[in-house]
Amino acid sequence: MTWGDALAMLVAVDITQEAVRAGLRGANYITNERVETAIFLALALEKPLLIEGPAGSGKTEVAKVLAEMLQTQLIRLQCYEGLDEARALYEWNYQKQLLRLQADEHQGMRWEDISEHLFSREYLLERPLLKAISAPRKVVLLIDEIDKADEEFEAFLLELLSDFQVTVPELGTLRAIEIPVVVLTSNRARELSEALRRRCLHLFIDFPGAEQERRIVQLKVPGLDERLATEAARFVGAVRRQGLKKPPSIAETLDWARALQRLGIKELNSDAIKSTLGVLLKHEDDRAKVESKAGALSGRSR
Amino acid sequence: MTNLRDELLRFVNQLRGAGVRVSIAETLDAMHAISAAGLERAPMREALATTLIKDEDDRHSFDELFATFFAGARNPTDDGRRKPGSESSIAPGAGRIESESIRSVRKDKKPAPSAVCAKTEPREEAESKSAPESEESREGEPEREDATGAEDRADDTREESNESGQERDGAISSGQDARRRKIERTPFERYSDKEFDEARDALAPIARRFRVRVSRRLRMAKAGRLDFRRTIRASIQRGGALSDLRFRARRPRHIDLVILADISGSVRYSSTLMLELIAGAGDFFRRVRSFVFIDRLAEADFEQNHLIMTPALDMYARSDFGRVLSELWERRGALLNRATVLVIMGDGRNNRRPARADLLREIGRLCRAVIWLIPEERERWGTGDSAIFQYAREVSALVPSRDLRELEGALSKVA
Repeated sequence: MTWGDALAMLVAVDITQEAVRAGLRGANYITNERVETAIFLALALEKPLLIEGPAGSGKTEVAKVLAEMLQTQLIRLQCYEGLDEARALYEWNYQKQLLRLQADEHQGMRWEDISEHLFSREYLLERPLLKAISAPRKVVLLIDEIDKADEEFEAFLLELLSDFQVTVPELGTLRAIEIPVVVLTSNRARELSEALRRRCLHLFIDFPGAEQERRIVQLKVPGLDERLATEAARFVGAVRRQGLKKPPSIAETLDWARALQRLGIKELNSDAIKSTLGVLLKHEDDRAKVESKAGALSGRSR
Repeated sequence: MTNLRDELLRFVNQLRGAGVRVSIAETLDAMHAISAAGLERAPMREALATTLIKDEDDRHSFDELFATFFAGARNPTDDGRRKPGSESSIAPGAGRIESESIRSVRKDKKPAPSAVCAKTEPREEAESKSAPESEESREGEPEREDATGAEDRADDTREESNESGQERDGAISSGQDARRRKIERTPFERYSDKEFDEARDALAPIARRFRVRVSRRLRMAKAGRLDFRRTIRASIQRGGALSDLRFRARRPRHIDLVILADISGSVRYSSTLMLELIAGAGDFFRRVRSFVFIDRLAEADFEQNHLIMTPALDMYARSDFGRVLSELWERRGALLNRATVLVIMGDGRNNRRPARADLLREIGRLCRAVIWLIPEERERWGTGDSAIFQYAREVSALVPSRDLRELEGALSKVA
């Protein structure tokens, strides 16, 4: 393949990077080139996208925006310790099976006839993964906080992520009708396995820079004064660099901006900061630390 | 005109040379990715990064290599720099730019403690269009790295970045993360005081993670005897079928931890970190007794979870495991019982004094388990004055713990 051929191929693919960029903008999602390219590739190559980054930097949001952009359903699987196949993939509906069993027995049916029905799709409770695989149209599957799940579960995901199929012993192998867009997020509570990483595209989302955050604030809190938005974004950026227990997330920045707006604060001085800091910081230690430096931090931002 | 596929393969090869793990499947992904993303510089860089780099720590090497390797790629006709004959990129004659780029990346692979500074650089370099320029900015870096006030420097960079916008902000906080992860993987043997201080700073999040790990293990060990009454109740929902078995919670386990840590010069860092790590997770054990030793035993003292040196020990003595074991044996009545897990941290270098491995065997009979953590490289076990293999026969487990990560793993086996 030459350079020219590659370019020709690019034209032939109908998902274009411009389309992705426009779609993201349409879904009110402000981001940078890195994220755009990764999302575009996840769509173009039909590969799962593994997103890492600090808590509150907008990882989960990517999946929501993708669903909005593609105008499709978002199926979410929240991972936690002890999550198992029965919760993630499928479970037999025992109660319904039992009812059926008793009803059939009264009619004097033979076991062969009964068992034929008993393990059909009708008695299968679909959990998120199976739902995503068997959906008739393309959906977005969000596997949130995969690092919280056990390592065994991660291994179990491999079949799904590489071949988009799952095996139910009684029914056989179910293959995806439409390959879903899969987004995995991780906070790095533990290291993910190499095997999982290999099967995914990788994206690291960090907290946005001051300029990007200002744009986010202005988009989501429309009435806010531009100068105040700039100052607020800079202040939050400075706060994040203080090495806090829990640095403020983007959502908290937005809450804070709304609080400033509601309180009618015109200028970000240290009094205004002190009275609203509780919206931004959720640990007493963090709060004390920032409060003592509030003047300096906002001064730097001016 | 150079073949794109070969070019990419060479790039991947060099990436591997720089210590990044890239599989064949990922290489294929990368090819698909650039055929989808196109050959414009920025999208192509991101496309390759997304498919080839699965760990943010490797991003630095990648950016650097990309900047030098594809320096001429903006102008495909300008092929003079890359000799057509140099098929294998690892061969020494693989063209000037490539070999230089590898060297500069390798230089960076050594544990650079001021990763914050280093991390902010590649952006600039990636942006710089030509190789010579990026070489220049590398030139400037060693000075910064040697600066003792690395933290102050970092602060400067932060303020700069405050002005210059988003990209750099990102580089900084991922840099902090990377620094923590790097220190986790630095072998204790290569520690200096500087690394030790950093490791101490990194200890808090590790201790937190360790606690989570241990508590999860304790929670999972729940299933004990069958709870008949609750099983019957659950079966009513299922029409009397005993499909859900309910169990009584098991009695909480009791572990008495006795820790012996060698704090002689050779293993001082690892021992101190281990003691402080366990001190942070003490509430999972019924009782924790920590001892430090060189040639004799002394109770370890902590102040705000930091080990403070006891005056009882002669810091210039030489390790004597045999004598320490006999001192422990004398105090066995107070310290050792069936619930005791004895953890010994040391390299087993006994300075050719009697090893007294027989005593360790007797001690092992009194305890639930004896676990020996060894911070040395495996190749050096048993060499010179090391009596580690004599001890290894008598302990329940000999666990290598050469860096913070291994140490954490080893300790969670204890619990």
